[in-house]
Amino acid sequence: MSAAVATLVFCAPGYPGGAGDAQPYVDQFAKAASSSGWSGTLAAVYDPTEQGGLAKLNDKDSVLAFVPYAFFVQHGAALHLAPLAQADVVGVGTEERWTLVGKAGGSVTDAKSLSGYTILSVAGYAPEFVKHSALAAWTLPSDVKIEATGQILSALRRVASGEPVVALLDQTQAASLATLPFAAQLKSLVQSPPLPVALIAVVDSRVPAARAKTVQTALIKLNAAAGGADTLASLRLKGFVLPQLPGNTGKP
Amino acid sequence: MRCLLLGAAAAALLLTACRAPAVRSTAPAASMSVEQLAAAVAEDARRSDTESDAKIRERLAADAGREAQACLERAPQAAACLYYHAIALGLEARAHPLRAGEALKSMLDALAGAEAADAGIDEAGPARVKALVLIKAPAWPLGPGDADAGLASARAAVSLKPQYPPNVLALAEALAKIGDTRGAREAYGRARELCQALPPSRDRDDWLRQAEQALGRLTAPSH
Repeated sequence: MSAAVATLVFCAPGYPGGAGDAQPYVDQFAKAASSSGWSGTLAAVYDPTEQGGLAKLNDKDSVLAFVPYAFFVQHGAALHLAPLAQADVVGVGTEERWTLVGKAGGSVTDAKSLSGYTILSVAGYAPEFVKHSALAAWTLPSDVKIEATGQILSALRRVASGEPVVALLDQTQAASLATLPFAAQLKSLVQSPPLPVALIAVVDSRVPAARAKTVQTALIKLNAAAGGADTLASLRLKGFVLPQLPGNTGKP
Repeated sequence: MRCLLLGAAAAALLLTACRAPAVRSTAPAASMSVEQLAAAVAEDARRSDTESDAKIRERLAADAGREAQACLERAPQAAACLYYHAIALGLEARAHPLRAGEALKSMLDALAGAEAADAGIDEAGPARVKALVLIKAPAWPLGPGDADAGLASARAAVSLKPQYPPNVLALAEALAKIGDTRGAREAYGRARELCQALPPSRDRDDWLRQAEQALGRLTAPSH
C-alpha cells in the first residue's frame, strides 16, 4: 500500500452532513492530523451512511477510521479497528451516557415490559451497541425491534403519542429534552454508564505500529499545535485523549 | 458523533428557492427602492448558490445582509423586506457554518413574519423556504430542523401555489425526508410534468434537472 493514497474515513451514520458539505472540514483535519510524522499524503473522506462507510473502510487504502463508538462496537471486530485516540467533543466530553426514553405514565417500566416495542435511535444501525453497551443494564425481550432514525424529534413525538416505541437518546439529545413542548409526556427509563463518544482507529493494521504511535501523539497534541484548535473546532472537537474503552478493550 | 458537521449540514441549505429577478443592484445606495433592494438580495442568493469559492460566498452574504437591512429600514413591515431578510440570513448561515444555528433560527422568525405579511410573495416563498430550512437544517437538538414541520410547510406552499414547480419539489423533498418514497416519487413526477409544460428558461431547466435526478435516485436499486 502506498502512503500517498492513504485515507482517513469519517463515518457518522444518522448525524447531519452530506459528503460534499463535509469534505473541506475533513480535508483540513486530515492535513493537521498528518502534519507530523506522516510521509506522503493522508487524504480524508466522509460518508454519512453505514453501508457507504463500511464500503470505504473495506478499501485497502483506508488506513484510519473516525467513527462513533456505536459504529466501533458494531463493526470494530469485523473491520479490525484498533483505537488510537478518543475524541473530546465540545459540550459533551470524551464520554457520554445514553438514555432510554418512554411515555410518561406508560406501560414500560422495566426491560420485560418492552416486549413488542421498537427502540428508535440514531444508533439503531448498531444493535450490538444498543443491546450490550447502551442498554447493558437491561436484558431485552427477544421481540424488541431496534431501528435507526435520523429523525429523533419525530421519534419522540411517536413516543409521546403512545405508540409502542421508545427512543434511545445520546447525551446531547437527552440533555435537551426539557426544551420540547411535550417534555412532560416523556420520562427517562434507564441510562447507560459513561461510554466513549467517538474514536479514531487504525483499520486492519494498515498503519505500521511505529507510525500509528506517531499519529496518536500528534492527535493528542493537536489542540496545542498551531491552528490545531481551529481545525478541531470546525468539527466541534476540543481534542483527543488516549482511548479508554469499557473493559479496556482494543488497546492499540 | 454530533461533533461532525453541524456547520457543514447548515452549509448544505439550498437557497435557490427564491426566484432571482433580472435586475441586479450592486450596493444598497440610498436611492434604491424596496423592490431594487429585494432584487439585489435575490441576485446575491442566486450567485451564491452557484459559487464554489467560500470567500466570494462570504462577500455575497455580507452584501445581501446590508441590502436586506437597508430594505427593512425603508419598510420594516413590507413582506418583501422580511422575506429577503430571511434569504440574507440563509446566506449568512451558509457562509459561516459555525454560526449557522442562530442565523437559521432568525431566518425562520423572519420567514414567519413574511408569511404573515404576504404568504403569496415569490410564489409562496415564505412557506417554501421555511420547508427547505426545516428539511435540511440539522435537526433537534443541534438545530431547527424538523422534518414533520417541514412537510407541513411544503404542503402549505403547494396549497397556495400548486403550479409552481419549486413548491412541488420542496414537497417531494419533504416526503423523501420522512421516508415516504412513494409519495416523494409521485411529487417529483408532478414537478417534472409542471416543468415540461413551461416555456424554456434557465429556471425551468434547473427545476427539471432536480426532478429527474431525484426520480433517478428514488428508482435506482438500493445497495
